[in-house]
Amino acid sequence: MSRDGIFFVGFLVAFAAVNAFLLSTGALAASWIGFGTILAAGLTLALYSFLYKDNPVFKAAEHLYVGVVAAYELSLVWYQNILVDVFNPLFRPPEGAGPKWLVLVPAFLGLFLMTRIFGRWIWLSRISFAFFVGLGAGLAIPRRIASFVLQQIEPSIRPLSIDIASLGWGVLNPPIILLGVVSVLVYFYFSVEHTGVVGGISKVGIYFLMVSFGASFGYTVMARISLLIGRVNFLLEDWLNLSPPIF
Amino acid sequence: MERLLNIDRRIVYLAIFLGVCLPYLFSFVELPVTITADVRRIYDKIDSLEEGATVMVSFDYGPSSKPELQPMALAILRHCFSKNVKVVGVTLVTEGVGLANSAMETAAAEFDREYGRDYSFLGFKAGGAILVLNLGQDLQGTFKADLKGTSTSEMEVTRNIHSLKDFDYVIDLAAGFPGIEEWIAYGQERYRFTFGAGCTAVMAPDFYPFLQSGQLNGLIGGLAGAAEYETLIGRKAKAMGGMQAQSVAHLIIIAFILLGNAVYFLTRSPRKTSP
Amino acid sequence: MPFFQRTLPLIVAFLAGIIGIFTYYIPVAHTVEVETSTWYRIIAAFAMFLGIHSLLHMHWYRIRRQQAGWGYSLITYAGFTVAIILAIYNNGQGFLSPMATGTGLDLNWMYVNIHVAGGATMFSLLAFFIASAAYRTFRARSTEAVILLLAAIFVMLGRVPIGAYLSDFVPEFAQWLMDVPNLAARRGILLGVSLGAIATALRIIFGIERSYLGEEGN
Repeated sequence: MSRDGIFFVGFLVAFAAVNAFLLSTGALAASWIGFGTILAAGLTLALYSFLYKDNPVFKAAEHLYVGVVAAYELSLVWYQNILVDVFNPLFRPPEGAGPKWLVLVPAFLGLFLMTRIFGRWIWLSRISFAFFVGLGAGLAIPRRIASFVLQQIEPSIRPLSIDIASLGWGVLNPPIILLGVVSVLVYFYFSVEHTGVVGGISKVGIYFLMVSFGASFGYTVMARISLLIGRVNFLLEDWLNLSPPIF
Repeated sequence: MERLLNIDRRIVYLAIFLGVCLPYLFSFVELPVTITADVRRIYDKIDSLEEGATVMVSFDYGPSSKPELQPMALAILRHCFSKNVKVVGVTLVTEGVGLANSAMETAAAEFDREYGRDYSFLGFKAGGAILVLNLGQDLQGTFKADLKGTSTSEMEVTRNIHSLKDFDYVIDLAAGFPGIEEWIAYGQERYRFTFGAGCTAVMAPDFYPFLQSGQLNGLIGGLAGAAEYETLIGRKAKAMGGMQAQSVAHLIIIAFILLGNAVYFLTRSPRKTSP
Repeated sequence: MPFFQRTLPLIVAFLAGIIGIFTYYIPVAHTVEVETSTWYRIIAAFAMFLGIHSLLHMHWYRIRRQQAGWGYSLITYAGFTVAIILAIYNNGQGFLSPMATGTGLDLNWMYVNIHVAGGATMFSLLAFFIASAAYRTFRARSTEAVILLLAAIFVMLGRVPIGAYLSDFVPEFAQWLMDVPNLAARRGILLGVSLGAIATALRIIFGIERSYLGEEGN
């Protein structure tokens, strides 16, 4: 048997022994909840085995996960959307109300999307996509202008009317923000060559962007570590039933 | 020295893993959690709500962001239920349904809150930002029944809620798209409700412009933000417990970055420095 | 046929886009906005079916052709099948009733113990990769890189309790970095991206951008 095979068998034996111990001592309930925790822990460790190297256990766990996710999404689409918004209004309307025939329009447009599976009628799906994409674009335009352009420009130029009686280092912040916004916009304006004054302002914009990307990196590290903390917490507290700190 | 630049990556993995595990194994000195103004504003807003006020919480995250956002959700729900504030939950993403339901039921059970009277979970509908739009137009028409099939026009907690502007506060806990920007553009912009948000740490830097413009009244960023909120409500849970590990791991990563740079600059030849 | 395959979709996109824009400004068109946006959501639900079909089709193709790794595709189908059976059974309520949760083996059990566990673990792997990448590639070779590095270090220390433990200045400076220079840069990016998105949306409505229709030959 290869070294990897020995590791795999050894890991399985250790995992089984730990779970047998946890079940026998009552730390894990001998019920669907307990078996579920064992399955989750096994899946977690199988996926972590990728850190050693890519292996069949990792691939099997990954594919199982993908299959279950697909089924869960499909069931939610049925129960929360198609059943409630299409099937019930058409075939099981409330008492005293007739079928909501207008629902047939989006229902057929949705069914037209399915024609992408069949080559001959695929052109029908274009009508659905056109409606979907066109309406989405139309709804987005005025809202983006209002929320992400107009309501963002106003606080940027507010520094020009600040109450200068409120002195302190904080009074420098609004002009710095204005400088930053303008210089970043100049940096992203590629229709003019970045030389001379434009180049200088663009350089300032780059420095603002670097601070922002550095902050992003710091926050990204924090986020990733948090995810790891969550899994370690699950393995130690929920699976092994330990109360930290242990020593 | 140059071998240090090419050490087996599994040694780095082991260092990170030990850094995260150590605080769980050994007791550390209790480190202070600094409360930021962005988190405090959300706390103050919920704290100022009168008994019987109704809050909407949108759980727009899935299992991949659970360690950061679930502690945040639980802290906010516990705060609301402790003040007898009603909560209506919704989600824009399929993966959020199970986590949202679990968070609401866990927090409600701790405060003996009754489903239908004190809280309700509407569930999920496809459409992302357009769902936000529909909630603003006609909430009871969009969700004729909640996840359990109870009619929203009959349920006590949603009986008088017809639009997003009928809520006293709306909070979105988001991990990506659709999320906070969609709530701002399709909801807050038209219906002008007070809007707070929680997000993963990866996304947090993106939302500072909305804080300054007033479109967001507060922001809870990542596990650290959740720990701040737990400190404010006086209930230390998973977020606070993770802060020691977070601190150690950050120090390890900073040490690796500085070590990598030190070794790089010490080992590179003078010829490579010419522009 | 070219009219139905090309021209009609462009007309539909134009009319839908115009409806989307003008219902924002015309209060009396509120019912049109409500109805069309409801249709959007229903079509989005059908579109999710398409995505799931695409995934299953890819794995089915691999199994049928017995391509490399087809055994794993069998595992995908096994997980999918068990979960779908539980979803249809719906704790004894059937698939025409609202979703029902129980305490035993049901769809929620599979969600908690496979979906949540798997999803959280997959993304937590990134913690290791980011540490390894930071060690190997994060080099302060230029002024810009030094600024990025310093900002990253201050934020990493300032946002966790160890920063306040070292000095009160660390979290305060980290907060200033977020509230001022980061805010300015993000606002610039937000303005630029929003203007670009608006331009793209207008191109879609006026039929200049047609990539969403797929290949011309279909």
